[in-house]
Amino acid sequence: MRRFGLGLALMIAVVLVPGVVRAQSIDDLNLQVHGYVVQAFVKSNQNSWNTTDSENGSASWNEAVVNLSLQPQAKLKIGVQGRFQLLGDSGGDGNFTVDWAQLDYTANSYFGFRVGDVKTPIGLLNETQDIDPAHLWVLLPQSVYPIASRNSILDHFGGVVYGAVALGERGGKLQYRGFGGERVMGPNDGYFQGFRDEGVTLPNGMTGLILGGTLKWEAPVRGLMVGASLSSLDSSGEIVEGPYQGTNTVPRFESPYYFGKYERGRWMVAGEYNRLPALALTAFAGAPVAYNRLDQRAFYAMASYKATEKLTGGVYYSSSIDKQSVFTSARYQKDWAVAARYDFNSFLYAKAEQHFIDGTEIGFAKSDNPNLQPTTRMTMLKLGVSF
Amino acid sequence: MKRRVSWMVLSALAVVLAQRAGAQVVVIANPSVKVAEVSKADLRDVFTGGSSNLSSGVHVVPVLLKDGAIHQDFLALYVGKSDAAFRTSWRSLVFSGQGVMPRSLESDAAVVEFVVRTPGAIGYIGKSTPHEGVKVLVVK
Repeated sequence: MRRFGLGLALMIAVVLVPGVVRAQSIDDLNLQVHGYVVQAFVKSNQNSWNTTDSENGSASWNEAVVNLSLQPQAKLKIGVQGRFQLLGDSGGDGNFTVDWAQLDYTANSYFGFRVGDVKTPIGLLNETQDIDPAHLWVLLPQSVYPIASRNSILDHFGGVVYGAVALGERGGKLQYRGFGGERVMGPNDGYFQGFRDEGVTLPNGMTGLILGGTLKWEAPVRGLMVGASLSSLDSSGEIVEGPYQGTNTVPRFESPYYFGKYERGRWMVAGEYNRLPALALTAFAGAPVAYNRLDQRAFYAMASYKATEKLTGGVYYSSSIDKQSVFTSARYQKDWAVAARYDFNSFLYAKAEQHFIDGTEIGFAKSDNPNLQPTTRMTMLKLGVSF
Repeated sequence: MKRRVSWMVLSALAVVLAQRAGAQVVVIANPSVKVAEVSKADLRDVFTGGSSNLSSGVHVVPVLLKDGAIHQDFLALYVGKSDAAFRTSWRSLVFSGQGVMPRSLESDAAVVEFVVRTPGAIGYIGKSTPHEGVKVLVVK
C-alpha cells in the first residue's frame, strides 16, 4: 500500500507535470526550501515525562525539519518534508524520517486531491500538530494530541480529496476532506509504551487501513468555525516477548472528533472532543487470546490573547479518561497549562509553559517512574528558528 | 466634551491615514483574470492561502513583494496581519503540506513583469509604478 501510494503519486506526476519538463528555469518551478529547528527544556517536580529525565531537568527534546516544495503549474504543487526528532527514548526514531511526500492538484475551489505520503486531515489540529512554529503552545493538549503517539495519526500512505462549497452570504462556507490509505505506527510509538513496560516489543510496529472524512463549517459570523471528523481504522502487527512470538490485532473501530474555533481581534478560543474506543487482541502461539479494551474520552478548551505584535499568552484545560481502565491515577489525566510565546522577529521565537497535571494516563511510563506519583508540576521552555 | 473632540479628531486622522495608505497601493492582475473588482475578503483569502479562487470562481496566482512600505500597507489594509504574522501563518501551511508560499519579488517592477507574463497572477504595487500590460482591480 505504501508503494502503491507513492507509485500513484509518481504516475500522476508524470502525467500532470509537463510543466516540470517545460520549465525554463528553477524560478519557473517556484522551488522553495523552508525549515525549522526547535530545542526544548523540561523540568518536572516529580515523575519523568515521556522517557525524558525531566525530574532532573532534560533537554532531550529537539526537532529539525526541512521542507522542499515546488509549484510547476498554478494548480499543481509537489513537496517533500523530512524530520529529525528526538524525544527521550520514545515518540521518534531518533533519526531522519519522511513527514510527508505528496503531489497536490487543485482542480477548482470545489475539488482537489493529494496523493502519496499525505497528512491525515482529522480534527482541528492534526495536520499542524507537529508544526511547532504554528502554535502558541509548547505542548498541545495531550488528551487529544499526545506527542509520543502523534506519528501514528499524522499521515498515511494513500490520498486526500478536498474542496469547499460556498453556502451564500447567510450560509457561510463548507469545507470537506475525505481520506484513505495505509496507516503505519512505528515500533517506538507512544501507544506501545505499556507493552514496553511489560517487556513486550513490536519490532515492525503496526499497520492498517484508515478511512474517514472531515467537515468544517465557516459560519457567516466572521471568525467562527465548527467541524467534525470521523476516522475508521484497524491495525495489526507482530509482537515479541523473550523467545515467544505472536500478533497484536486491533479490529476496525470508529473514532469521532467534534471541534470549534472562534477568533475575534486579539482573542482566540477553541475546543475539541475525541473518543477512541478500541479493542486489542494479543495472541501468542499456544496461549489463550488476551483482550484489552480502551475507551478514551478526551477534550480540551483553550483561549489565547495577542497582547502585542510579538507577545501572545494563553491557557488551556485538557482532560482525558479511559473508561475501561482500573480505578488508579493511570485511568485519567487533567492538565491546566499556562503559556506565553514571544516572537523576536519572523524567524526566531521563544515559548514558556507551566503545566499542573493530575493523573498519569498520558506520558508517564512506569519503567521510567518506579514510584509514580499521581500529580506532576512541569515547566517547559522552547526556542525555535524557522525560515 | 474635550475628550470627545479629541477622540473624533484622532478617528478622523486614522481614517485619513488609512485612506492615504490605501491610495498608495494598487492591486493589479493579469488581463486573463476576468473581473474588474475584488473584495477585501477575497484578497484576504487568496493572499493567506485560504483559497486559490476568487469568490467569482476565477483561479488566481498571488505574488508578493519581499518587503517595504507598499508591502506593509497592503498587509495592514487587506490581510490584517503584520509581515511576521503573515509569514508565520504561511509557513504553517507549507510545513503541513497545505500550500506553497507565493513568490516574493524584490521590486514593484518585478511584480508587474511577473503579473504581465503569468496567466491568473494577482499582485500589488505602488500607485506611481508604471504598470502597462496589467489591469488594475478596484477593491470593494
